[in-house]
Amino acid sequence: MTAIHLQGLTKRFGPFTALQPMDLEIRDGEFLALLGPSGCGKSTTMNMIAGMEKPTGGRILFGDRDMGAVPMARRGVGFVFQNYAIFTHMTVRQNLDYGLRMAGVDPGPRTAAMAELLGLTDLLDRPSQGLSVNILQRLAIGRSAIMEPAIFLLDEPLSNVDAAFRAVMRTELKSLQRQFRQTMVYVTHDQLEAMTMADRIAVMDHGVLQQVGTPLQVYNRPANTFVARFLGAPGMNLLPGHAVQSGSAVQVDLGPIGLTPPLPGPASGPVTYGFRPEEVTLDPASPLKLPVTHVERIGARCIVHLGPVKAVFPAGTEIPSGVVGFTPGKPCLFDAKGGRI
Amino acid sequence: MTRAILRTLAILAALAVTLIPILWMVSMAFKPPSEWQAAGEALTWVPRAPTLDNFRYLFGQGGSDLIATLDRTAVKPILSSLLSASVGTLIAMTCGTAAAYGLSRFGSGANLPLALIQLRLFPPMAVMIPVMMMWAFLGLMDTWFGLALVYGIVTLPFAFWLMKTFFDDMPKEIEEAALVEGCTRWRVFTRVTLPMMAAPLAAASLFVFILNWSDYLIALLLTTREWVTIPVYMASLSSSMTGQLYGAKAALGLIAAVPPVVLGVLIQKHLVRGLTFGALKQ
Amino acid sequence: MKLGLRLTLPAQVLVLFISVFPLLMQLYISLTDWSPLSGAPWPRAWEFWNSFANYTDIPGDRRLWAALGRTLLVMVICVPVEFLLGLGLGLLFVEDFPGKKLAYSILIMPMMVVPAVAGYMFFMLFQSGGPVNDLLSVFGPVTIAWLSDPWLALVAVMVADIWQWTPLMFLILLAGLVGVPQDQLRAATLLGASPWQRFRTITLPRMKVIITIALAIRAIEAFKIFDTLYIMTGGGPGVATETISVYFYKITTNDLIWGYVAALALFILVSLSIAAQFAMKRMAR
Repeated sequence: MTAIHLQGLTKRFGPFTALQPMDLEIRDGEFLALLGPSGCGKSTTMNMIAGMEKPTGGRILFGDRDMGAVPMARRGVGFVFQNYAIFTHMTVRQNLDYGLRMAGVDPGPRTAAMAELLGLTDLLDRPSQGLSVNILQRLAIGRSAIMEPAIFLLDEPLSNVDAAFRAVMRTELKSLQRQFRQTMVYVTHDQLEAMTMADRIAVMDHGVLQQVGTPLQVYNRPANTFVARFLGAPGMNLLPGHAVQSGSAVQVDLGPIGLTPPLPGPASGPVTYGFRPEEVTLDPASPLKLPVTHVERIGARCIVHLGPVKAVFPAGTEIPSGVVGFTPGKPCLFDAKGGRI
Repeated sequence: MTRAILRTLAILAALAVTLIPILWMVSMAFKPPSEWQAAGEALTWVPRAPTLDNFRYLFGQGGSDLIATLDRTAVKPILSSLLSASVGTLIAMTCGTAAAYGLSRFGSGANLPLALIQLRLFPPMAVMIPVMMMWAFLGLMDTWFGLALVYGIVTLPFAFWLMKTFFDDMPKEIEEAALVEGCTRWRVFTRVTLPMMAAPLAAASLFVFILNWSDYLIALLLTTREWVTIPVYMASLSSSMTGQLYGAKAALGLIAAVPPVVLGVLIQKHLVRGLTFGALKQ
Repeated sequence: MKLGLRLTLPAQVLVLFISVFPLLMQLYISLTDWSPLSGAPWPRAWEFWNSFANYTDIPGDRRLWAALGRTLLVMVICVPVEFLLGLGLGLLFVEDFPGKKLAYSILIMPMMVVPAVAGYMFFMLFQSGGPVNDLLSVFGPVTIAWLSDPWLALVAVMVADIWQWTPLMFLILLAGLVGVPQDQLRAATLLGASPWQRFRTITLPRMKVIITIALAIRAIEAFKIFDTLYIMTGGGPGVATETISVYFYKITTNDLIWGYVAALALFILVSLSIAAQFAMKRMAR
């Protein structure tokens, strides 16, 4: 078990900057998700941690050891590839004990124990080609775990899995992590995976680390409009407006929609007013008014479109038509550059 | 770092070994007779007095005080090589493409893949006596078309296998659409399939042409005087006065080497497929 | 007639034409003493009937067995050397480096040079006053008569073969190497495998089929070796570099003993067929 420190880690490919200088502490034994849309630099970051790519600048420390000169074979990192990279020309056993055999260690007892732990005992002498995807995932994890790496890196391991099966695999993955108790870095573009499995989430976009925090922190207190919009389905409502100071509080003039209830804190000038669709309540007395334009009923929930605003209600809710008043709960304010106030 | 240096050195060495024989022939081709052999003096790597005389000489011009003018120039052998290799390619590609399509789409001629591989397995030498007997009987000895016919058969396996893998790779949906429109199968083949396969057809033809152009043994057996091809002619080039006509032969070798090397570079990405009978794609 | 059959007909005719007729003719001639100088056209070869004398001559044909031995020697030396060199070059070309495309285009040039011309190139190179001796003379004056020494001539011939056909191995093996999944190699690395271990446990097993194909193709072609060799040495000095194809050529064109050549050709065809069947069965496993 080891903590990972990224200090000013940077990666450029020619003129293109894949990763702006990034500082991040990944705690010992923590499950950290690197979350962001494709091209945000999350895979590059992980490849550099694994040693598959060389950083353009900055340092990577495992505990207090600088990894700059350590080749990937000696970093002691377990890596689960997006496609699992199972050695399909070998049996399950040969995959599982590969690292031990290469190190010249007697694989016998450890392989048996690992197979037992992962429920692979009956499959050990089967060819690894043609096994189902959840077995391949277990095998990929077991193959790395048997080397007892201090750090586990997982590169979107669920992206090739059927949607229906992902929930099962998520649960399985999380319970495996609890068993191994290693530091895990999990790259994904799927917020659901990050929210359900991670201890902390690092949200990235365009090569910049946007926010690090527990799932609830990044969900409830997004650091900027990108995080606010990226997390949640649908994402946070963001309305442009003008801050008006009223005493010690602030109200936002949303133009034709109305003037918001007072919020704490000083602010002025153009701002963005944000609130979660789940926090909206209908209230005829509210000063904020919008017409109902569209209602999507999807199973347990229904999503109500109020012009630019989306609101989520339980399935049975009676939705009036025409212009309605609404009250946003737990609102956030962002400044003109998108940062949280 | 040291790895990169070692790699560079290894590649440079390989390039040198690859290029020296070729460059030596190029150098020879431009040397005057006095530099052909290192008679006591140091070897000349680069011609001291570069000249086109060797090429002129091949085409019947001049000759020098050392060597008599050729009574038979290189013109006809070049023509013979071109004619026999091209027509041989035409035969192989026509029969090979048709058969490949027949097998790929209709499953006809299932014996052909193996039969043609076997054809390739045996040394041509082992079937040449009956061919020579038949050719003599049919009056095909020492004719370019007699040679072309053998070339067409010898390279048929390559034409067939290459085109078969190309047809197998081609999506069938387009043909099916044309069939639904009411075209006959033959029309689909000639009006839809072949035009779509223009690029692979060209690549396969060039590949087969290179093979035909490269032949020596078959021409050696089937042509004697009138229609000898470049390699046969080259081997016969010598003069009683000077022995080997090094420079002239090198010049001819250069003429023979240029087309396949240029064509080979053109079809680089199909070479692996061609050489492994389509078993491997690049 | 069905279109499929019509399409395959020309190829079938050509295959029959080159296999059945020649086989029958060869079988016929092989039972006679007929030769083009016999004064009778070949259909009347029965006048020279000698039953199985040609076949019974084969076991005692020392020149044949020597040629076969030499052919096999060339095969077992050249093919592995070409394989190893081609594989080494292939490994150098897996990663990218500046000038890779150009280097690749140059390295595959030899296999596109007309073999007879390649033979002539090496004929020139191995002259006693030629570049090979010139390069060797950095170690002191050298005047090796490569092509007139029985063993050195064979060496020279093999050098030419290796020069011309290593590119083929390189080309095929590189295509195979590039096809080895990068992720698997990386996974092996992360599991602590050394470069050699990666090569042995991932690359080689994944290339098995390709390696088999490459070796088979080269072995078949090496067995037929003629053009380069004949231009360089004419099979000489004496019979020192005579291979199966050269021997065939000589007894066909110089000795003109066509009845015997036909018997020998049938013998070789049958032997090769059996060898091929055997090889295919082993490969299938």
